[in-house]
Amino acid sequence: MKNKLKVYRAMHTLTQEQLADTIGVSRQTVNAIESDKYLPSLGLAFKITNLFKVKVEDIFIHEGEENDNEN
Amino acid sequence: MDRKKYKQLRVIVAFFVSAIVAQAVIRDRYLLASAGVLTGMIFMVLMRVKAKIRTDEREATVQEKAARMTYAIFAPTIGITAFLLLLPSKGGIDVFSKGEWLFTESLGMVFAYLTLFLIVIYAISYHFFNKRFGGGGDEE
Repeated sequence: MKNKLKVYRAMHTLTQEQLADTIGVSRQTVNAIESDKYLPSLGLAFKITNLFKVKVEDIFIHEGEENDNEN
Repeated sequence: MDRKKYKQLRVIVAFFVSAIVAQAVIRDRYLLASAGVLTGMIFMVLMRVKAKIRTDEREATVQEKAARMTYAIFAPTIGITAFLLLLPSKGGIDVFSKGEWLFTESLGMVFAYLTLFLIVIYAISYHFFNKRFGGGGDEE
């Protein structure tokens, strides 16, 4: 799973801290999502996409059968 | 109060609580130690409420994985240790049934019960969370 969160955040001139405060998570979580280390929950993904007024698939791109946030 | 300030205050509270507990233990005042821990816990909860700290979902995932790994390591370790401690005394080796080695059997029993306790808690919490998240129901 890839995402364009960093691009959308830059387009809206938001810092990681500001975005984190808006969606109610820590800055580390935003950083982890941006660097593809953590896959957000569906609820958080919708929060992010609602904030930027785009569809989920505009920011989050599924790429095949990989196991994200693997156990 | 933001998250950063909350984290700094948490460190300060933890420092004071450990200092109080250490002093109380040195002076054999166990009531003071319990009071110190209790006060610290109340203070932490109040700070958390005041700072409106929510558990971050990534943090929750990390905690889940850490808990799972802790269980996966601790349960077999303590179980095998219990078995190894109980084996000599139950196996009829006299040297472990008396004198300075007598404690091994008691320690083995304690570890064995701890293992059981751990497994029971895991089973109960697994059952509870499985039900809570909709598992177990076959009907449509």
